[in-house]
Amino acid sequence: MVTSAPSLMETRPSASVRHPTVAAPATGAAVAPAGATLVDIDQLDFFYGALQALHGVTLGIENRKVTAFIGPSGCGKSTLLRCLNRMNDLIDGARVAKGMIKIRGIDIHRPDVDVIELRKRVGMVFQKSNPFPKSIHENITYGLKLQGQTNKARLDEVVETSLRGAALWDEVKDRLHTSGLGLSGGQQQRLCIARALAVEPEVILMDEPCSALDPVATAKIEELIQELRTRFTIVIVTHNMQQAARVSDKTAFFYLGKLIEYADTRTIFMNPAHAQTEAYVSGRFG
Amino acid sequence: MASSRPTEGTHFIAHKGTFRLFGLTLGDCIKFFFGGNAVVSVVVLALITIFLFREGAGFFGENRENLEVYRQAGLEYVDYIRTQQDDHTALTRYLSDLRVRQVNYLTQQKKLSLAAANAALAGFDTFADQYGDAVEPIRTLVSDLTEQATAIKEKFTVTEDRKTQRAQLLAAGQTEAAAKIETVPIDFVAELKPILGTLPAYREAAAEFSRRLNAVIATAPAMPEPALQARLERFKELNAEYLAGFPSVLRNLESWDFRAPVPASRAFTSFLFGHEWRTASFWQDWYGVIPLLVGSIMVSVVALVLAVPLGVGAAVYVNQIASPFEQRLIKPSIEFISAIPSVVLGFFGIAVLGQLLRALSQVPGLAWVPGFPYAERLNILTAGCLLAFIAVPTIFTLAEDALNNVPRAFTEASFALGATRLQTVVKIIVPASLSGIISAVLLGLGRVIGETMVVLLCAGNRIAIPDFTAGLAVITQPVHTMTGIIAQEMGEVVQGSIHYRALFMVGLVLFFLSLGINYVAQGIVRRYRISIG
Ligand SMILES: Nc1ncnc2c1ncn2[C@@H]1O[C@H](COP(=O)(O)OP(=O)(O)OP(=O)(O)O)[C@@H](O)[C@H]1O
Ligand SMILES: [Mg+2]
Repeated sequence: MVTSAPSLMETRPSASVRHPTVAAPATGAAVAPAGATLVDIDQLDFFYGALQALHGVTLGIENRKVTAFIGPSGCGKSTLLRCLNRMNDLIDGARVAKGMIKIRGIDIHRPDVDVIELRKRVGMVFQKSNPFPKSIHENITYGLKLQGQTNKARLDEVVETSLRGAALWDEVKDRLHTSGLGLSGGQQQRLCIARALAVEPEVILMDEPCSALDPVATAKIEELIQELRTRFTIVIVTHNMQQAARVSDKTAFFYLGKLIEYADTRTIFMNPAHAQTEAYVSGRFG
Repeated sequence: MASSRPTEGTHFIAHKGTFRLFGLTLGDCIKFFFGGNAVVSVVVLALITIFLFREGAGFFGENRENLEVYRQAGLEYVDYIRTQQDDHTALTRYLSDLRVRQVNYLTQQKKLSLAAANAALAGFDTFADQYGDAVEPIRTLVSDLTEQATAIKEKFTVTEDRKTQRAQLLAAGQTEAAAKIETVPIDFVAELKPILGTLPAYREAAAEFSRRLNAVIATAPAMPEPALQARLERFKELNAEYLAGFPSVLRNLESWDFRAPVPASRAFTSFLFGHEWRTASFWQDWYGVIPLLVGSIMVSVVALVLAVPLGVGAAVYVNQIASPFEQRLIKPSIEFISAIPSVVLGFFGIAVLGQLLRALSQVPGLAWVPGFPYAERLNILTAGCLLAFIAVPTIFTLAEDALNNVPRAFTEASFALGATRLQTVVKIIVPASLSGIISAVLLGLGRVIGETMVVLLCAGNRIAIPDFTAGLAVITQPVHTMTGIIAQEMGEVVQGSIHYRALFMVGLVLFFLSLGINYVAQGIVRRYRISIG
């Protein structure tokens, strides 16, 4: 549903004009009530060259909710996730053959959509933590500096709010200017989340953010997701059923590139409509 | 088939893999083949190193002897006075330069004709001539002394030759023939007496010389312009300094003792810090590596200044921006350059590039470029351009590798934060691969500094330290290089002679230089691997 002016087009005022903070996120999010559909995926067919990875996926992702994508390996979860910020554009031969994705009513594949702006709005956290080989401070300010932000006080402020937002501030506040690669795996992943938070996205995509972490670090990230859900729309891919059940409001189950079932997480786990879903969430295949 | 099948179990086991060559199984053969090759290459490398050291090491002994003869035959003594004379010549050159400036001033500012300008300078010319002629007493003395010292050295060389001849005959068992060769040991005391006896004559000559200089300098005509006047004043200062140096020359002569031993370190320092490389000279041979080292470095620096932007830029383009079609086109073309024999490049440099650059330098619109216009076709710039051409493939290939090694995760993270491709290249990819790129540049430098054919053909081969006071224009001067001199002179020298060994020493310097560069490059690569981890 269209709730605000087209915001992804190049014609909009440049990003450096607005000064949002983590505490009061993007303008649009304030307008759209939680639970309204923010991302609308409609009959999406996606191909890697000749290989069709997604078959007619239709799905609405709700504003300021956590949506989990689950399904066996190779079923297209990552592919769909990467469609949402058009990261698949970087892959040769990858293309959307049919259907569309609308964010706030804007088709993100329209030619006048600025993909750079899209990616600022739709942040991403990767499976393997990937901080830049730079200092913690530089990692977090990277996105803002790209947008032309040079005010040092402002950057410092964002570093603090982002790190606090990612529950990492207390652990690293004394070593902001040391390399981000010097942190533990779990800290690195939270640094990547902080880095994504710093550019004020509306949506945060997380592709198996805990798969390389131990249970303690995983618990921390899950806790963090619980905090972030009030301010951001989060889409998370996970292989961990308990995790999906714990953190998400809604769950989508995929199988062989098709969306099998999409419903409230409680429904998916307690009372799935499809036998395949039931088999998968109860661990009988996958 | 059936008949060949072994009948008993034990036989069957024993039969398997019993192919043996000299009692070795196939596996052993393969192992020894590769192991042997590895050992051979290590041994060859070690032999080369040992050989270099062995041939080069003898240099210091011989160079010390060379320096001892220089002292004992009185050449050193004469050179004190000769230096004094040469310094005076330098001052007269300053006067010639001043004259050129005056002529320019008079013809250009005062619009005088050339003849009128020359006429106006008649007073200055007399002054300059008198200043030049003042050295006459010293000059006469030096030329006398030169003859005497050369004669002593000649005698010494003949005696030494005889000695070696006799030693050779003795070694061959021809005792009789050996006995026929007389060797009269040289009595340096007696031989040097006439030379040392000229000390009072020198005192007189020097006194006369300085009297004349003082007299002449008082007659210096006034300059037509303040700037030129300032130059004349500077000249007077230089002249005063020059005169003030006279007593120390005299002191040197008085305290000079041909018996004073030449310190062993001198053989070393005169090579490593020597400013002159002069061989087959009638007077004294010098083996100083500095002019060659400076030549090699200058040429390499020019090459790198050109090759680094080209090579790294091309690597970034091909790795990050080019379409697959461009990649398929550019990569092999650049790598193909390294297949061009360097002698062909050198030939191209002489026949085409040298001419072209000189023609370019003479374009009037380009006169602002330092060193332009120039007349020498073969110089640092020509050789540097060609060497850059040689270094580009090395730098390109290795830098491209380094860029390739940047984990895809960094690039993706950057894009996901809304970076453009250019921003990602500049802020993430290049910094992350910087140490790899630096080591690529260093390896390119190693490649360039060891290159021989191109510099031999195109660097101009003038053995002298280029004149750095010219500023950037220094790159249009000819130089000689370490590699060039080895290639040029090694074929002509007598094996085992001091010159031969000096060339080996130059080779050793080159060897250590390359070793150092490679070591640093590898250190950087190692650190780089860890940091990306
Ligand atoms: N870059 C690519 N090029 C070609 N095919 C790809 C590419 N990435 C994924 N695929 C294919 O697309 C299909 C979906 O892959 P995707 O990565 O979306 O699966 P996934 O659900 O994320 O699996 P996993 O749980 O193992 O991460 C797979 O068949 C995969 O082989
Ligand atoms: Mg995946």
